[in-house]
Amino acid sequence: MPPARHERLARLKAALPAWIAVIGLFLAWEGAVRFFGIREFLLPAPSAIWTATVAVWPTVLAHTGSTLLTVLLGFTASVLVSLPLAMLIASSRAISAAIYPLLVVTQSIPKVALAPILIVALGANEVPRVIVTFLVAFFPLVVATVAGLLATPPELIELGRACRAGRVQELLRIRLPFAVPFVFGGLKVAAALSVVGAVVAEFVGADAGLGYLIQTSMAFFRTPLAFSAVVILAIMGIVLFQAVSMLERILFPWSSGAENSAPPSA
Amino acid sequence: MIRFERIGKTFRGRDGAAVEALRDVSMDIAEGEFVAIVGASGCGKSTLLRLAAGLVPASSGGVSIDGSAVTSPRAETAMVFQAATLLPWADVLRNVTFPLRLMKRIAPDTEDKARALLATAGLAGFESRLPRELSGGMQQRVAICRALLQEPRLLLMDEPFGALDALTREEMSIELLRLWAARRMAVLFVTHSIPEAVLLADRVVVMSPRPGRIVDVVEVNLPRPRSFDQEGTDEFQRCARRIRDHIFGNRAARAA
Ligand SMILES: Nc1ncnc2c1ncn2[C@@H]1O[C@H](COP(=O)(O)OP(=O)(O)OP(=O)(O)O)[C@@H](O)[C@H]1O
Ligand SMILES: [Mg+2]
Repeated sequence: MPPARHERLARLKAALPAWIAVIGLFLAWEGAVRFFGIREFLLPAPSAIWTATVAVWPTVLAHTGSTLLTVLLGFTASVLVSLPLAMLIASSRAISAAIYPLLVVTQSIPKVALAPILIVALGANEVPRVIVTFLVAFFPLVVATVAGLLATPPELIELGRACRAGRVQELLRIRLPFAVPFVFGGLKVAAALSVVGAVVAEFVGADAGLGYLIQTSMAFFRTPLAFSAVVILAIMGIVLFQAVSMLERILFPWSSGAENSAPPSA
Repeated sequence: MIRFERIGKTFRGRDGAAVEALRDVSMDIAEGEFVAIVGASGCGKSTLLRLAAGLVPASSGGVSIDGSAVTSPRAETAMVFQAATLLPWADVLRNVTFPLRLMKRIAPDTEDKARALLATAGLAGFESRLPRELSGGMQQRVAICRALLQEPRLLLMDEPFGALDALTREEMSIELLRLWAARRMAVLFVTHSIPEAVLLADRVVVMSPRPGRIVDVVEVNLPRPRSFDQEGTDEFQRCARRIRDHIFGNRAARAA
């Protein structure tokens, strides 16, 4: 058994190429902007973005906090709705036939179009923003969870039946644990998408948040600050994604390794 | 204790075509008896076990235990499936105790019993491993322990040693006999190995395919406790030859 430290080192080593790629990209960016003399309001150099951010960091921090709140609330809502919904869909063909088309409809409506309607109906507060975030994030989570629940091997289901498990027990003790790697696949997608959802909502109606910051900055040609918001959003997406991965490794150690052998999720 | 009465089972395939898996199968198994079933692949052995376990209904005829019809799985029956079918998320110990936990039959000494059982199966020290960290043979042994821990009156085993190497297979056979002698449960044991069937069983049921039916029942009159040394005896050879004739005789007749 390799010690935990060894494992952590291996993981850091695995992340090395990603870091090199990111740093290389920023260096090339900086170099290109300086070399070609690109004007700041078209494409600011990373150093300019940094300077602009530091100059007004309390404002940036406040906007980041506001977006993060929307993201977390929307993400939580999508988890709370998706898991029971997925169980409902997986438990009965009739329910799934009734609900799935509705779900697909919610996905084919552009959220950008929906946001202003929600804001008129619910007022310019946190609620419509969370709803938009939720609508963007929950679908892949439902699809992944349903796929996992239905992918449970028939042998395991038969084992449950031989042990006289009822439908509820079968769902909770066999199907749900089996679906965990699938659920986490969906959670990772949902985490990244909730950042997108929050920004979409902020574009339409908000007086705070990184989406709002991007809009107001661009209105005054303060491009570096807009870029700063974009970079922070990217970091937020990565951090959320990694947080979900870490949660999976801690809570379900069998799952993160099982992903390789589990059938591909839909 | 368990009686199969004129069992017929027909599956309807996905394309609507009917597959007759069993036809007119009747047999009785007494309390504590060890019965082996041999037969070519696809002759309905697994189906017969599923019927006995109450996992599938018969198309005609019926299965009864102590006179009451088997319509759904019972607590007194345990099954070892053809594949190990362990829960990938649970460690060995929790896999072994899973049926009892599911049936809320857990007792204070269940865990100790489980550990003792795992030790006899050569799995001491593996209690907290995950199934994917075990070899195929070890997984199958866990599945056998899982069934034995339920202390069933009827143990259904579907090629439980199919995934084991020849050496472990012999060892496990003898171990199974020892456990069986200590508990006196009825065992219905499906195998592809004729020597294994003869070594283990009081009676060997020979089945033939399409449709699956019983062609012969061979009484094995070897003294117990059994061992592989008995393989040289006349009685062993007589039984093995008689079973082989049924299985390969059929094949030769069909080929001609
Ligand atoms: N669920 C099912 N649906 C349709 N046909 C089935 C089903 N289960 C079994 N059959 C058919 O019934 C027949 C007997 O199957 P069964 O699994 O009982 O055979 P078996 O004797 O256990 O074979 P093996 O030794 O290969 O395990 C086969 O022809 C099979 O195609
Ligand atoms: Mg079979």
